[in-house]
Amino acid sequence: MAAAGGRTLGRSSFSRATSNPVASSSGASGVKIGPNGAAFVSSGIPDLDRILGGGFLLGSVVMIMEDADVPHHLLLLRCFMSQGVVHKQPLLFSGAMKEPRLFLGTLPAPVSSSKEDGRYRAMGAAASSDGQANDEGLRIAWQYKKYFGDDSRAEHKDNKQEFSNDFDLRKPLERHLLNGQNIECVSIQDADTLSGLQDCCTSFLSKLPRKDGGSLTAGRIAIQSLCAPQCRYFEKDWDMVSFIRSLKAMVRSSNSVAVITFPSTVLSNSFCKRWQHLADTLLSIKAIPDEDKDLAKLLTGYQDMVGFLRVHKVAQTNSQVPVILEASTLSLKLRKRRSLVLERLNQAPVDGSSGPSSAASSSCSSQGSQLDF
Amino acid sequence: MAEAVVRCLRDGRLDGEHAPALAVEGSLQCCPLAAGAMLHIAAAFASQVAAGKAQARGLVVVAFDRSPLVYLEFMRRRSLDTNALDRCVRILDCYSDPLGWKQKIQNQQHQGNSAKQFSTNKENITVYRSVKDVTKLMSSVTELGGGFEEGKKYFSVAVDSISSMLRHASVPSISGLLTNLRSHEQVSSIFWMIHSDLHEPKVPRAFECLSTMVACVEPALVDPVCGESPGNLSVLEQNYSKAKFIVRLKRRNGRVKHLYEDLYIEGNDIKFDSAPSVSIEVNQSLVPKAQFNLELSEKERSDRANVVLPFEHQGNGEPIRIYDGRRSLPEAQRDLSLTAPALVDEIKAPKSGTAKGEIHYFRDSDDEQPDSDEDPDDDLDI
Repeated sequence: MAAAGGRTLGRSSFSRATSNPVASSSGASGVKIGPNGAAFVSSGIPDLDRILGGGFLLGSVVMIMEDADVPHHLLLLRCFMSQGVVHKQPLLFSGAMKEPRLFLGTLPAPVSSSKEDGRYRAMGAAASSDGQANDEGLRIAWQYKKYFGDDSRAEHKDNKQEFSNDFDLRKPLERHLLNGQNIECVSIQDADTLSGLQDCCTSFLSKLPRKDGGSLTAGRIAIQSLCAPQCRYFEKDWDMVSFIRSLKAMVRSSNSVAVITFPSTVLSNSFCKRWQHLADTLLSIKAIPDEDKDLAKLLTGYQDMVGFLRVHKVAQTNSQVPVILEASTLSLKLRKRRSLVLERLNQAPVDGSSGPSSAASSSCSSQGSQLDF
Repeated sequence: MAEAVVRCLRDGRLDGEHAPALAVEGSLQCCPLAAGAMLHIAAAFASQVAAGKAQARGLVVVAFDRSPLVYLEFMRRRSLDTNALDRCVRILDCYSDPLGWKQKIQNQQHQGNSAKQFSTNKENITVYRSVKDVTKLMSSVTELGGGFEEGKKYFSVAVDSISSMLRHASVPSISGLLTNLRSHEQVSSIFWMIHSDLHEPKVPRAFECLSTMVACVEPALVDPVCGESPGNLSVLEQNYSKAKFIVRLKRRNGRVKHLYEDLYIEGNDIKFDSAPSVSIEVNQSLVPKAQFNLELSEKERSDRANVVLPFEHQGNGEPIRIYDGRRSLPEAQRDLSLTAPALVDEIKAPKSGTAKGEIHYFRDSDDEQPDSDEDPDDDLDI
């Protein structure tokens, strides 16, 4: 990456020489420039941004499959909307409720950066900057350098903090931030068709055209429970699919991100597949059973988990290189009951006397019997 | 037990939240038991209301599947006296004349006479004749509910069953009705019954979305070869006398609690029993792929440094003690000759004397992380 400071080894003749002077100004408007001309906005959850490789890609449609049993999709949606409000980005919200404005009252406020959080971030950054220092000593083949993102560099730590905030889910967002803000709310519960919502989206997105190297005002569209059973257009499957398709086309040519949550179980299988295919980034929520001894034995930190998040697809529009994730299932936890963290699932240490060791020995013995020359 | 479910319904709603909703799902194989479960829950709830233990002051039953007298009779058998019933239970009768045909015929027959409504003389049963109009149904329910006590008091609603409602109205309109009822400020809790195999799979799932508790009544024995052996009545008999009652409670902490019970018919009554065998296949599907956490914490690192490995020179001036796992340390030294000279890396001058059967061991460097990708050939200077 040309932005990789003093490391001349990283300058590959194949990478686009993107100048990165907007790094400091992009932080203010909440847009981060990434490799291959991609621009990201934060999802409101720093862990999710890191896992998705920078955040939500501008011009993509993110779909979240809800679990009928748990309302965690609302947590993700709230963090996304709050991040937009904090960064003063225009927001269009639509929900299957009578008064969508009331939902704005549940948006969380950013965590005031206390010393403890600062230390936590410093630890994370320091560990990775040590890693970078060690890399200087190691001889890494030059073509691999360009895949090292610059998110882990200590000097960008301040920008990163501005790009993506931790939200305190127990504190509501201040009213004055919501009032002076370009927020539109549309209710889709009593609408017979989706054409009203489509018109709103068209007018919203026409104000955010995408220009190369132009203004970086990014907009956000948040739609909650698009195919909720109480909506009057619920049985019009094809109408809903064509709405999503036209929204995707409009978003692709504008400077915005659309996040749509939908209860996947209320769609028929074939339409559920169509919806999943239309998504650029696809996430799903899974419920976690309570007081389950088997899961408690299997996973560490089971007590703190509130649910599972699965990442099925990650948007990649400007490059042929797919995003390969370390882990596709993550656990949702509430750190100190207020901010959302995503963690990999770790297996709890197994008792020596229990199952797995005996299984291993039995498999060894069975293999031994097969090696019969 | 079904107690947990009734307790949730009884406790009602908290401020600022929607009313709790229970969806009872039955299937054709255990149809009478599902109906029985619904009756049981309604009766148990009504007795809680009559005793004053519930948030609600009354129960409105929207009866599609059964005559209202069945409910009243069942509740009477559960020792609810007539006064309590009159006070606490109102039934909206959508069973006798749902589309208003009987009244139309009656009006045609008695054209000259003042056509009185074909209403029963019971005070707490109101006949409802236009089931296709969901909005009117909503207003009738709220009207009945408001009539329990003076002032703004809570009431609960039971719908039996949604499957019959779906014959007359669409899924969005009924979901809208249930959502409006749940968010109505006077409704304390709501429960309904649906037969899941009478509809497309997405329909009962749509109603599950609207609920906070789901109770499935499943047949006790699943017949593997359905219909192929019609003479096999024992499975049918079993399924008509008992069933499994599986409850999923969506809790406030964002997790789902599973409860398992057995349900059986005894005489005229429904009884619940705690299930002896908990089905674990539910949990198997939920376990995702988990990885091992290979990082070591500080404590673990220092513990690892302190471990005394066998075949190693402790370096504190004492003779080598080799622990082969079978005997205590001092004896093992004498038995050095018996240990196999298997693991020999490189020769190191031993401190104790014996010439044969020595084991010399170099501990691997502590700095090297396990499974690191260092190529050992990097050391070669070619």
